[in-house]
Amino acid sequence: MSERQIIANPLGASPLTDAEGEAIEYRPIAVMPDVKVIKIGGQSILDRGREAVFPILDEIVAARADGVPMLLCAGGGTRARHIYSIASDLEMPTGVLAALGGYVPKQNARMLHMLLARHGGINIDTDDFEKLPLYIQMGCLPIMTGMPPFGYWEKRGPDGRIPPNRTDAGVFLSAEFLGSPRAIFIKDEDGLYTDDPKKNPDATHIARIGARALIERELPDVVVERACLEYLLRARSVRELQIVNGLRPGQVRAALAGEDVGTIIYRDDPL
Amino acid sequence: MSKLLTGDGRTHIESRLMRESLQNRSVVRDADSASDFRILPDTVLVGIGGQSIFDRGKSALVPLADELRALRGKHKLVVGVGGGTRVRHTVSVALDLGLPVGGIAQLVGAMEELNSVLLNALLAKDGFIGMPRDHFWELPLYLDAGMIPIVISIPPYHMWEPPPSQGNVPAHGSDFGLFQLAEVLAMKQVVFVKDEDGLYNKDPKQHKDAVLIPEITLDELRANPPETSILDRMLFDAWDHARNIERVDIVNGLVPGRLTAALAGERVGTTITRPRAAKESADV
Repeated sequence: MSERQIIANPLGASPLTDAEGEAIEYRPIAVMPDVKVIKIGGQSILDRGREAVFPILDEIVAARADGVPMLLCAGGGTRARHIYSIASDLEMPTGVLAALGGYVPKQNARMLHMLLARHGGINIDTDDFEKLPLYIQMGCLPIMTGMPPFGYWEKRGPDGRIPPNRTDAGVFLSAEFLGSPRAIFIKDEDGLYTDDPKKNPDATHIARIGARALIERELPDVVVERACLEYLLRARSVRELQIVNGLRPGQVRAALAGEDVGTIIYRDDPL
Repeated sequence: MSKLLTGDGRTHIESRLMRESLQNRSVVRDADSASDFRILPDTVLVGIGGQSIFDRGKSALVPLADELRALRGKHKLVVGVGGGTRVRHTVSVALDLGLPVGGIAQLVGAMEELNSVLLNALLAKDGFIGMPRDHFWELPLYLDAGMIPIVISIPPYHMWEPPPSQGNVPAHGSDFGLFQLAEVLAMKQVVFVKDEDGLYNKDPKQHKDAVLIPEITLDELRANPPETSILDRMLFDAWDHARNIERVDIVNGLVPGRLTAALAGERVGTTITRPRAAKESADV
């Protein structure tokens, strides 16, 4: 029997099955750290239609005209919940739900594209992600689905079949790849509350909180996907998540100018 | 006709998850059920190691290709391949350059695809066919035609690979990708073909006194993991939450007949099991 023909490299014949690579000094580079990665919520913003969407886009277009490079990502919303609900009744596995959940944010990205085309809005697929420098240098406003491309390979989370990585996680991971220090989420609440403010009038606003502190509070509900909080603690580039209320005039513009409006969830000590 | 509901400024389609936050644990749990619908339950998946088999070249590949050829028609088989030493080389260069983990994940898939092309060339006349990822739902077409699809092993996490909990290397590798494909389709069995008789308590290439573990449950393995894991650690983490896969075998592909025996249900290497019923009652 022939031996393994190995290319000499510092990882050698490492099985790569485990945390490895410590043999190599890792000095991470940032791919496009100035690009602001922004999510426009599905249920919170897009499902509200013109009244909510148009003023937000006005603020985004104004910031882009001022030279703020950005990537817009679309959330899913009620149609995604509808298909998750039907697929859950059919007892479909998580991977099928994740694949189904990918269609709605793509539709929403197309809607945003039609609205923003005259301002340089360009609809890109995750396959076009490597062309981002071109779009940014041309002064365009690239728009993409927020959903990460895991699809059928999305694994079941600890709580059940709803895919744990949805559009918030995808936006976070886009920012992390680009080396952006902050990911911005435009929603219909001022940020994080002690409970769902739509259901509990006693819920109070939290302006700034660490991700670990937030996880340890074990809130029944949080404003961003829980996966984002876990990723934030391990991330190399993203230091903060910002959640802003797109229904309040000026908040998006302020967030794009780097102001700490809404809620900032920052990276505190690892778990 | 579905009902549309407005009144809170948003338009909802009536459904159980309408207006709900999908971050709410109780909402997520309510959408769950004791089992998943089983999509392709009579199919088996065979993963062929990159370093362990392909990097040994002809002397390992040709006998294994003969064995795979003979299995056609006996099982509904899906085959995946690992990338091997070229993946290690890619990762080591990428780490030195400081590329982000998503960048490394984006790069490695090409190296295993080379092995997939080689296997395809060796077995094309015997009905093996490379299956692009976009052709996911054509799997039944290939299987019903008696063909053996060679799938892409690496999962499509690409630039969106989550930051790993330790180190700087992507955690979602080829073993995990194949496992997850089998899990989502609720395949009957997963067999990984390597160059060792199975899982040992420590790396048998480094320790002469390493002991083979013929049978082990997932819970036992997770409670007491070997020093060096022969499969992606992420596979075991994912399996812990998974619903469908009950059995994963690791067999020695350098010994003719082992793969065939494992597919016949024999335990000829390491068999890792996770009884489904036990897992469900533990969840309650």
